[in-house]
Amino acid sequence: MDAIEVRGLHKRYGDTVAVEDVSLSVEAGEIYGVLGRNGAGKSTTVEAVAGLQRPDRGEVRVFGLDPRRDRNRLRQVLGVQLQDAALHAALTVRELVRLYRSFYRDGADPEELIEHVGLTGQRRTRFEHLSGGQQQRLNIALALVGDPRAVVLDELTTGLDPEARRHMWATVEGLRDRGVTVVLVSHHMEEVERLCDRVALIERGRVAAVDTPEGLVARAGLEQVVRFRTAAPFDPAVLDRVEEVRSVRTVGDQVVATGSGNLLHAVSTALVKADVVALDTRFERATLEDAFLSLTGSPFDDASGSER
Amino acid sequence: MSTIDTAPHRPGPRAWAALVAAEGKMVVRDTAGLIIPLGLPLLILVMNGMGVFGEASVGGVSVFELYVMPLVLTIVIATVGVVNMPSFLAYYRRTHVLRRLAVTPAHPGMILTAQVVVSLVQSLVGVALAVTAAMLFFDVGVPDRLGAALAVFGLAALTMYALGLLVAAVAPTGNAAVAIGLTLFFALGATGGMFGPTDNLPAPLAAVGESLPFGAAVQAMGRAWADMDQNPAHLVAMGAAILVSTAVAVRFFRWE
Repeated sequence: MDAIEVRGLHKRYGDTVAVEDVSLSVEAGEIYGVLGRNGAGKSTTVEAVAGLQRPDRGEVRVFGLDPRRDRNRLRQVLGVQLQDAALHAALTVRELVRLYRSFYRDGADPEELIEHVGLTGQRRTRFEHLSGGQQQRLNIALALVGDPRAVVLDELTTGLDPEARRHMWATVEGLRDRGVTVVLVSHHMEEVERLCDRVALIERGRVAAVDTPEGLVARAGLEQVVRFRTAAPFDPAVLDRVEEVRSVRTVGDQVVATGSGNLLHAVSTALVKADVVALDTRFERATLEDAFLSLTGSPFDDASGSER
Repeated sequence: MSTIDTAPHRPGPRAWAALVAAEGKMVVRDTAGLIIPLGLPLLILVMNGMGVFGEASVGGVSVFELYVMPLVLTIVIATVGVVNMPSFLAYYRRTHVLRRLAVTPAHPGMILTAQVVVSLVQSLVGVALAVTAAMLFFDVGVPDRLGAALAVFGLAALTMYALGLLVAAVAPTGNAAVAIGLTLFFALGATGGMFGPTDNLPAPLAAVGESLPFGAAVQAMGRAWADMDQNPAHLVAMGAAILVSTAVAVRFFRWE
């Protein structure tokens, strides 16, 4: 069952093509990551889902609703946290949560929600006096205030300190437990790896790949590395017949074996069989970031192109 | 494809009230923004009052009632409508407040309504202050044609809000909105008698000023105060300004 469907989305601003051709289908209840570098078309895509952008071509459906034509029905069930959105500067946290709550037929209890995002101590503080991280937390609270069935979170944890970030991650996982569909636009690889059930890689306005985070890493076909030291001099022949191992090097007293598949287990087994005592065993595998680089063919932080 | 059974839901009276309250708090907490609509009219009242008090009357009609009071009331509604309201809206647009609201069930049109309601309250407070001061210190009476005065005041207020919406719609930035609003305010004011009776202006300029919203509002309110029949030209001028400004504002309004 698809909660959100995007088919053949195309959007240009003047001469700049923001989205060339994007199709996504987000299943109900999953956390769906949208990953890509600045200017790849992530924000434009989710803004089309939120009904803020009118597609030049293509179709968007959220729970079967057209975000622009069925605006009044959609708004009750879709929560949105936008990048760079501001609120009434002179209103306090509590006033803003209550104001936004009043727009929805059903919704969260304002006090509980404020506590949930950790702003109880700031509930009488004006928006303009909150720190960046606190403003961000308030924005997330407001995306959730209408008890949405789906939420779009654009750069969820940008500007949050590590503790607040982990707290937000727990909040998003809690949404999944309640069956809420989440579309998460992110730059943060660890966040995507930890939270997302599936991830779409967007590159130059197109979908480069869609898979689970592990699937993307596997798809990139990057090698794993096992490093260890041995007390006695090591004979590399011990690993010769291990299928998963592709190469073995010794650097001083350190041994470096590269390969794929279940490499760590295969190497450990072979060492035990040969009665080799391995010390300081370390295992390195490709991260989502490595996979991203490999699948899109250029460095992630190369922020060429303007935002959206 | 999963679908939902949600009936269309529009925010109810509580949401409208909450938004009006929110806009009201924004205005009240912007203390500097209150000085002009509430303080400037009082200042003009007092300065003019000391100048003309007790001496001037034209054909038995007090200059104060014919000229000063209408001028002060027009200044109140013009500053609130033409200067304050568009600067708030432009500020909301620049900081993406409107964009944030656009993804909630609150129709952005609610913001406009809330702004007008809050502006109206500000105008009424400014007017109440000015009229009370005039009655206490300068012996000004209730308008001779109270109904006509209220109707003309309402029409003039709508005219100024329509101009304000026009400024908000065409101004590219918040600064531009303030600049355009102030320029418009002083241009209309200068030709409409804000800096002295229009008799002192060259005749053609005075005639033009009288058919522009500010001048028309001053003239029409003065006539109502001083028991004179309305000149239809003033009312037509304000009506035309409302229609044209609103049409252009709706055509060019952008939420972001």
